Amino acid sequence: MADETNQLRVRLVTPERTLFEADATAVELPSTTGDLEVLYGHAPLMAELGAGDVRIHTGAGIESTSPETARYNVSWGFVEVLPARVTILANDALKPEEIDVPRAQQQLDRGQKMWNEAGDSEDAYTDALRVISEAEAKITSAAEATQTH
Amino acid sequence: MANVLDLRRRIRSVKNTRQITKAMKMVSAAKLRRAQERALAARPYARMIVSVLESLRRRVDLFDEKSGNICNPLFITRPEKRVLLIVISGDKGFAGAFNANILKTAYQFIAGNPDKEIDIEAVGRKGRDQLRRRYPTAVYTDQTDEHGVTHKIRGPRKGPVEVTGDHPGLLIKLETSRVFDLAHNIISRYTHEGIDAAYLVYNEFKSVIAQRLVVERLLPLIDFTGPQITGAVEPSAEQKERAAEAALSAGIDIEPADTAEADEEAKKFGTTNVDYIYEQPAEQLFAGLLPQYIFSVLFHAMTESVAAEHAARMTAMDSATNNASDMIDALTLHMNRVRQAAITKEIIEIVSGAAAL
Repeated sequence: MADETNQLRVRLVTPERTLFEADATAVELPSTTGDLEVLYGHAPLMAELGAGDVRIHTGAGIESTSPETARYNVSWGFVEVLPARVTILANDALKPEEIDVPRAQQQLDRGQKMWNEAGDSEDAYTDALRVISEAEAKITSAAEATQTH
Repeated sequence: MANVLDLRRRIRSVKNTRQITKAMKMVSAAKLRRAQERALAARPYARMIVSVLESLRRRVDLFDEKSGNICNPLFITRPEKRVLLIVISGDKGFAGAFNANILKTAYQFIAGNPDKEIDIEAVGRKGRDQLRRRYPTAVYTDQTDEHGVTHKIRGPRKGPVEVTGDHPGLLIKLETSRVFDLAHNIISRYTHEGIDAAYLVYNEFKSVIAQRLVVERLLPLIDFTGPQITGAVEPSAEQKERAAEAALSAGIDIEPADTAEADEEAKKFGTTNVDYIYEQPAEQLFAGLLPQYIFSVLFHAMTESVAAEHAARMTAMDSATNNASDMIDALTLHMNRVRQAAITKEIIEIVSGAAAL
């Protein structure tokens, strides 16, 4: 089913606006049950996203020596994968450079406090876990950005 | 009778007022344009959430086959005894009858449900101030249980209608995280049976001439295909005409922007007729999607309300500017008459003085 292009149409949509729309060769997604990588011709899939980085590989192709990658830190959302189209619905998406690290650190502290105070309420643990994972994902993402630049 | 000097002073003062109202009108027009853009940019997300929910609902049973339980608490309908009313008003005045109309609709809703306990969640400063004056505020006390966890326990009701919360400044800079918090708060109250239904009162805004006040049901979820509107007030033809005039003079398009293509595109999200692989079980997907849906309804209502507020202010200020111009014309005419009368009087005095010589 390959044609000349083998390109995926990728869209990243947040509640505020459509953040990204372009063709790509591959997309990496942080699903709640583990990371996914989607290439052209993937079977239709619907998944919930956790906190982490979405990597969109654009550029000439996988064989290309310098594939360009757009990286966004997303927290929670959904993704629909069709053979030639990927649509990501994210609650919040940031470029790694835009992440406010001190604020993420505060969030992490808050999450850990929530965790300690959760008692035996299952909901409270889930909430705390959400806050912690979101903050951790942001910090890692920001750290990677400073390394590469 | 006022003399020429007094009239001249008054004209000057009205001119100053006109300057101010004109400036306010232009500022509102600029803000309206921005609000419209934001509302438009938020559309794809809302559309996609709706279409993915629709498709999921078509494919997945709401009831668990084995246990017969409904797969998400937000689908459960209970007899409406306690109702949450979310009133979205403006943050500032000078917007004509905008805030008054919203409050009127809210009061009508309350009057129409006399046998229910109503909790009010006020968004927007103007509405909050009014509602607080009219209804008692709910009392919460902190209680610590045996695990050292503090819970907020609600005190006894002071009346059938209580204000449970307000969100000052939420509309000034619409932040998604704060709207999410509100959505989660509403959902948790619904699932813990603190409320049996939730309604939204806000001003819908499609374009400058197509807006109306609506009461929309937020919970329980019965149908996603469209907004669950339970009551609406359309503006009169005269009001629409005024709004269109104001928009025209401020250079705002009165027709809603054409988004048919984008909407079509968004509708396709998750609805393609293929068998999806669901990464997570359907229940989990529902549990993740429904809060998003509630959020998107709330966010949509707020963006629309902000745009409507600016449009109302623009129209009101345009009217004020026109009124000021009319007043200046009338005063100038009057002043000239007075001036002429004074001159005539002086001439008569001179002539009759000369005749007496």
